[in-house]
Amino acid sequence: MDIWVILGPVIMLFLVLGFVTYAILFERKVIGWIQNRVGPTQVGPWGLLQTVADVLKLLIKEDIIPRKADVGLFKLAPVLAFIPAFAVIAVIPFTESIKFADIAVGLLYYMSISSITIIGVLLGGWASNNKYSLLGGMRSAAQMVSYEIPLVLSVVGVIMSAGSLNLTEIVHAQQTGAWFIFPQFLGFIVFLIASIAELNRTPFDLPEAESELVAGYHTEYTGFRFAFFMLTEYTYIFGMASLITILYLGGWDAPFGLTFIPPLIWFILKFSLFVFFLFWLRATMPRIRGDQLMEFAWKGLLPLAIFNIFLTAILKEVSFLSHYF
Amino acid sequence: MLRTEEMILNVGPQHPSTHGVLRLVVKIDGEVIQEAEPVIGYLHRGTEKLAEDLTYTQIIPYTDRMDYLSAMTNNYAICHATEKLMGIEIPERAEFLRVIVMELNRVASHLVWLGTALLDIGAMSPFLYCFRDREKILDLFNELCGARITYNYMRVGGVKWDAPIGWLDKIKNFVEYMREKMKEYHGLIMGNEIFLQRTKGIGIVSHETALSYGLSGANLRCTGVKWDLRKHQPYSIYDRFKFEVPVGTRGDLYDKYVCRMQEINEALQIVDQAVEQFPEGGAIMAKVPRVLRVPEGEVYVGIESPRGELGCHIVSKGKDKPWRLKFRRPSFYNLQILPTMLKGQNIANLVAILGGIDIVLGEVDG
Amino acid sequence: MFGLLKGLGITLKNMAKPKVTYKYPHEPLKMPDRFRGIQHFDPEKCIVCNQCARICPTDCISLTGKKHPDPGKKGKIIDTYDINFEICILCDLCTEVCPTEAIIMTNNFELATYSRDQLFKNIDWLHENDQNIRQDNVSMKPKPGGSKA
Ligand code: SF4
Ligand code: SF4
Repeated sequence: MDIWVILGPVIMLFLVLGFVTYAILFERKVIGWIQNRVGPTQVGPWGLLQTVADVLKLLIKEDIIPRKADVGLFKLAPVLAFIPAFAVIAVIPFTESIKFADIAVGLLYYMSISSITIIGVLLGGWASNNKYSLLGGMRSAAQMVSYEIPLVLSVVGVIMSAGSLNLTEIVHAQQTGAWFIFPQFLGFIVFLIASIAELNRTPFDLPEAESELVAGYHTEYTGFRFAFFMLTEYTYIFGMASLITILYLGGWDAPFGLTFIPPLIWFILKFSLFVFFLFWLRATMPRIRGDQLMEFAWKGLLPLAIFNIFLTAILKEVSFLSHYF
Repeated sequence: MLRTEEMILNVGPQHPSTHGVLRLVVKIDGEVIQEAEPVIGYLHRGTEKLAEDLTYTQIIPYTDRMDYLSAMTNNYAICHATEKLMGIEIPERAEFLRVIVMELNRVASHLVWLGTALLDIGAMSPFLYCFRDREKILDLFNELCGARITYNYMRVGGVKWDAPIGWLDKIKNFVEYMREKMKEYHGLIMGNEIFLQRTKGIGIVSHETALSYGLSGANLRCTGVKWDLRKHQPYSIYDRFKFEVPVGTRGDLYDKYVCRMQEINEALQIVDQAVEQFPEGGAIMAKVPRVLRVPEGEVYVGIESPRGELGCHIVSKGKDKPWRLKFRRPSFYNLQILPTMLKGQNIANLVAILGGIDIVLGEVDG
Repeated sequence: MFGLLKGLGITLKNMAKPKVTYKYPHEPLKMPDRFRGIQHFDPEKCIVCNQCARICPTDCISLTGKKHPDPGKKGKIIDTYDINFEICILCDLCTEVCPTEAIIMTNNFELATYSRDQLFKNIDWLHENDQNIRQDNVSMKPKPGGSKA
């Protein structure tokens, strides 16, 4: 057996942990700057060890399980939420050579595995036996289910253009044609909005609307179980940022022929752009209300996504445009 | 038909957005509120009862702690009531200083409201921006009277401190600065579709309801009733300044927002004029006896605090302490409409509506 | 849609603006002269008139006097003088009424301790608290600087 089969995922796990650590720091810094503050500066130089300290604090905290909680499910929920978040990373190609599983239906795999997390979130909310958790869990289940549909439909345009569900193939299609953000602009917008909703981030952060529901589904969680939920959230940011880079921003493809910069750097650049955008959005937007959120998904995004499919299908037949579609 | 059950949700007193220690017992069906009942008293300190055992000067620092976001207006209420009962004329200079600090305090208080109300509906940055600008006002007050929140600035007969050197210039600069910042707030909030969606048509109160509940301040004006004590029962020297009384039309959250934002503009306008007309020289304290013995009698004064009509009712038996003191605390009156407003609303609107009323728990509980 | 973009623009612009936070506690905060901090007490000046204890709205000053040791002199001198900072609200009234400026405000405000007992400050402690004493103690009088500049 190849040693990389074991070692690769372990390295990846640490990479993801590293990403999460610094994404949280970066988020706090960016939001701090936007709000004319400096963000964390105390732990380590420039606050670099702040998240490490926070995580350490979470790990040594007492593990409290509410007496009336359903203990089994309560313990299961964070695990169930995290495993799919990490599993989806398996199909993401970072460059031509750095990838784990190059399966033919990579995109489908991502979409289907990632929806398992909803069960974890719902379980967590239910098992805590807390009304805020329950409301938060229900909200997130409703939200994630509704936004999954436009999310999947919006990528259909990409799939049609690339003619493949394999993520590497999709990047290859963009290397020859244009990045899909241009021909698939409508799809990109729908995907962007739906992905933010999937990630439960502002302005769609209803499940954990702290001013309404205290902390939503993880209200009762403390210590490392809580850390797992946080980890899940940020791992999904990692996954979603990679996915959007691959699907719409050309993956590791270098623009303007700037090929002297290695492909991995390009990937990271595009990836960071999306992550920054998320944080920037969080610092600016108020939260959408639940019913408006649902309306927006079903009445706004869904028709748009379907329209995008038809548009792609039609434009594919126009001879001088078909090169791009 | 699915069998559904109502759920009782206990919001507060440790909930992140009940603005202090308010507790709401909410009965919800799904996400729709059936009934909401505020439970108050967690911050009750018995200011009115304590005051019966304090001399008039000693009461002033206690009033600081009622509406701690606009302590200057509270200071003014007690001083004004006492002065009225004793028949003291206040020197001009003191009146100008009082008006300047009260209006600046109104700006500071509305900024806190703006920040927290937006925080309630999930916008984070405006909160920090508001506090950044409020900080400037607090610094000015700090320079004037040595405290940032609990000023204890006014005295029966005048004010404690004269303006320090260059203070008026700083006020002028601040007014300029704030006008600039108001544009930024507008840009950040007014056009924001999510904000509009969350405020337009939410928490509508008709002006009949508003009047019958005894609402005052922006809560009343947003329903279209033009009633501002500064204009319609002028006290101090407010009749010398030109300013508008902004009113709304529909009485929803959005109107409340617009009203308060315009009130900030009007308050800046008043400050501007007051600095312009500030008298050269003159005393800041009237001649008052060392021990304040207030003649027997009763007096009620109502002034326009940032939250509404702040009344002070003194009953004196001719001693150096009031026999009975009663504050009409606007937050307390405004809060009463909350159950009516919440009925039938989505639970997500709860915090938005509560934030719109703009209560200060120190004032609700007294 | 346009409003959202405008909001994003404003927040982005603010990112480049200078930071407004203080470096407290790494750099001490400089308070303006009139700031009401912990009192400084000068036993020499005190004439034991008891006015400060009487005006205090929270009753946190307790003082006792004793006969002047020099039999030739009249009056009393201060013996003990305590302020309980658990309940002192730093309202400035004691310093306002003191006829001799025996009790005056300083700009120090750091009072945090691990025990409530330590908030009970006696005459010696108050006397040693002699840094950053407020310069301008005569309130209620018009100041030249208050005029229109
Ligand atoms: S500052 Fe106020 S509360 Fe403190 S000792 Fe002096 S009079 Fe009493
Ligand atoms: S008021 Fe001044 S002089 Fe009188 S007892 Fe107090 S500190 Fe001493």
